[in-house]
Amino acid sequence: MKPYLTNIAITLRLMARDRMAMFFGYIFPLIFFFLFAQMYEAGQGGGVAKQVVTSVLIFGVLGNGFFGAGMRAVSDREQNILRRFKVAPTTAAPLLVSWLVTGWINYIPSALFLISIGHFAYQMPWPERPFTLFIFMTVAVLAFRALGLIIASVVNGMQESQILIQLFYLPMLFLSGATFPISAMPQWLQIVAQFIPSAHLFDGLQGILLRQEGLDTQWKSLLALFLTLITGMFISVKLFRWEKEEKVKASAKLWVVAALAPFLILGVYQAYSKESINHAKVLQRELRRSRTILIREARLFIGDGRVVERGALLVRDGKIAQIFEGDAPDAKSLNAEPIEGSGKTLLPGLIDAKVQLTASKDINWSHSAYLFSGVTAIRSSGDRSSVILPLIEKVAKGERLASEIFLVAEMPVTGLTALEASVAPKPELLERSLVQQVAPKGLLDQLRPLLAKAPVDEAPLKTRMQTIAAASNNVAGSGSGQQFVIHGPGIHRELALLVQAGLTPGEALQAATGRAAAALGAANRIGMLKPGMEANLLLVDGNPLRDITATERISMIVFRGERLARADLFEPEE
Amino acid sequence: MSEPCIQVSSLKKNYGQMEAVRGIDFTVEHGEVFGLLGPNGAGKTTTVEILEGLRPRSSGSVRVLGFDPAADTRALKERIGVCLQATNLPDKIKLHEAMRLFGSFYQKTVDADELLKRLQLSEKRNAIYSSLSGGQKQRLALAMAMINDPQLIFLDEPTTGLDPQVRLEIHKLILELRDKKRTIVLTTHYIEEAERLCDRVAIIDQGRIIAIGAPRDLIANTFGASRIEIRFAQPLPADETIPHSDGAKTILSDDRTLLNITAEKPARAIVDFAKWVDQRGLELADIQLKHPTLEAVFLELTGRSLRD
Repeated sequence: MKPYLTNIAITLRLMARDRMAMFFGYIFPLIFFFLFAQMYEAGQGGGVAKQVVTSVLIFGVLGNGFFGAGMRAVSDREQNILRRFKVAPTTAAPLLVSWLVTGWINYIPSALFLISIGHFAYQMPWPERPFTLFIFMTVAVLAFRALGLIIASVVNGMQESQILIQLFYLPMLFLSGATFPISAMPQWLQIVAQFIPSAHLFDGLQGILLRQEGLDTQWKSLLALFLTLITGMFISVKLFRWEKEEKVKASAKLWVVAALAPFLILGVYQAYSKESINHAKVLQRELRRSRTILIREARLFIGDGRVVERGALLVRDGKIAQIFEGDAPDAKSLNAEPIEGSGKTLLPGLIDAKVQLTASKDINWSHSAYLFSGVTAIRSSGDRSSVILPLIEKVAKGERLASEIFLVAEMPVTGLTALEASVAPKPELLERSLVQQVAPKGLLDQLRPLLAKAPVDEAPLKTRMQTIAAASNNVAGSGSGQQFVIHGPGIHRELALLVQAGLTPGEALQAATGRAAAALGAANRIGMLKPGMEANLLLVDGNPLRDITATERISMIVFRGERLARADLFEPEE
Repeated sequence: MSEPCIQVSSLKKNYGQMEAVRGIDFTVEHGEVFGLLGPNGAGKTTTVEILEGLRPRSSGSVRVLGFDPAADTRALKERIGVCLQATNLPDKIKLHEAMRLFGSFYQKTVDADELLKRLQLSEKRNAIYSSLSGGQKQRLALAMAMINDPQLIFLDEPTTGLDPQVRLEIHKLILELRDKKRTIVLTTHYIEEAERLCDRVAIIDQGRIIAIGAPRDLIANTFGASRIEIRFAQPLPADETIPHSDGAKTILSDDRTLLNITAEKPARAIVDFAKWVDQRGLELADIQLKHPTLEAVFLELTGRSLRD
């Protein structure tokens, strides 16, 4: 034990005297930190700051790993320093261990330092899983240092080591996701990234920081890193050379591959399961959800009947952070991206309390159509739970970007849209703009002749409207999925029919927002514009309180804090 | 202590096709200063590194302090001190740290500060390695070699590259060690060093020991006589006969200006030949008495100079 401790103690002292090591350990990452923080506007949300911190932490691990222990080993060998150790009664183990451990001791404070800067300068919350983070970082630093040591073991001379280190360092850096998101890479490069240890490192760190994932989720990456550490150390001890005169054969360089074998296996598994690619997508989503947005100068429909004629709403970290009546503070002072809302109305995301998803052929398509139409939550009715439950899980995990699905007991809903379609179908229903936008190719052409032939009897609809007008606790549900009712825009038609029945637009909207949320037992998090609620928002042109059809003129949708690129919602899933 | 400190027989070492050591035998007794003398590439360092347990041998048997260096490497390293050729320490390591670092590898160590004091490095205790002069670095290397209080110390070219004054300093330290009855194995290609420090010397050339013994005996055995050179201003007349002196042999150069005399009793011979020169009225250019040195022994045995 004594040689290990003494070696560590003295290597640490030497490191503290090494200005280059201190610069690359502490100052250099800081430069990158501020550079990245500027580039990605880290002030906009804790999530972005986490992303920046993750990237810079990765830079640190890679730099520390490849340029730390390995370079030191080669340069000590080249300078005939290791020769001196050879005459002592020792193996290479105390030296190797001290090089590993000192790098780690050097790295952990620098990581803490970066996280603190993220916290104090960019409002990044403290990591919620510090222990997991600590374990993961520890294994990661040690594993990458072990990789550096193997490179040192298999090269002859400084120049060769520089080449080999760059050969590993640069791809690991670029394909890690720390410089460029993996989910934005071409498919084949995403597959390649599954074999890159640094990509798993990045994925793991992001998961821990952004999604509070524990070791239970990260164990595969952690195990691969750990195996790399063990094989790396084993091979380094085996191949250790004390003198520069001892050369290794070119074939020895294959040992590096041996140490990376765990990642070869993990890569094959991931390429097959796409688990990690999905995870990267999820993390990317998490990141988009964490931005700060200020929607100002808009009319706010709160969801419980109240209306703020001119106000602003601040979204931060996926939640509604604050509501301002009248003037809002400057977006810059809130570190928010401003969105002009004048002439527009901001509503809580609409809720359709009755849809039957499995009535459609392409269930993914119809599910996506809801979010596209500003419907952020739906209640599935009459669907087989074996189909719905996996969808619910995917949405919850963030793997699928689509409306939240509720699977709760039957409840009375207004259901006018479905009734209208069955008793009094009108051809113009298919010509509504939103319907045209979401309907799958060819469907409308198939429906038009059928619709023209359908018999019309308005009486049942009128009767139902009277009942609804008399009730005070209506919950809006379109009954989409039935023939002639296209998935997605149904609730907009329902709102129009409710107004026709005699409800005020405000009452109708309440039935599709606040009251619907309460009926689904989710009034504590959706259905209202209230601080602390999920940021599910629908911004429409005009004033639906005067003209209810304005809800179909969608200007912007925010789902769980993410501004949706609506056109991308229908992208096919793998 | 019946067994010798070091016993080497038929030691061979090949590097691929190259035979670095071609079968050598010697023993080193306890308390002896033993020198391996030879030109660069003669196989000295290879031999010593085999004894230190740093290199495996190709064949032959070796015992050092009762251990086989190839098998009991660790136990042997624990008990010996080694001062290697051309080693370095990290630039920024402080002297006391270096002592502590290398001391940490041994079970038994002596007080590092005491050692530094003995090697006159006390005031440099907190200095960093790169600030030391060549002589100081070599003294530190000696101090480090003695950290485990070794009975046997290997010094591989301890003074190579040092200026003459520093070399004398190191010699003094080695002599002190000899007084303390440490066994020392020393390699060198400096003749004076071997003559001055070593009880016995083995002359190595091309992987073989070509002579072994006390420096004085080596000289005596090789030559058994001193050499006198007489140079004349003019060639000796053709009719001049060279006189006989007791136990002396003479050779006259072809141009008859240089007379080489090998004499068992050089003082007697000088008197005899001086008388002759005086009586014949010959004009002397120069007269020199040459005692043979190890250098001459080496030259005589190998036909090459040591410093080629």
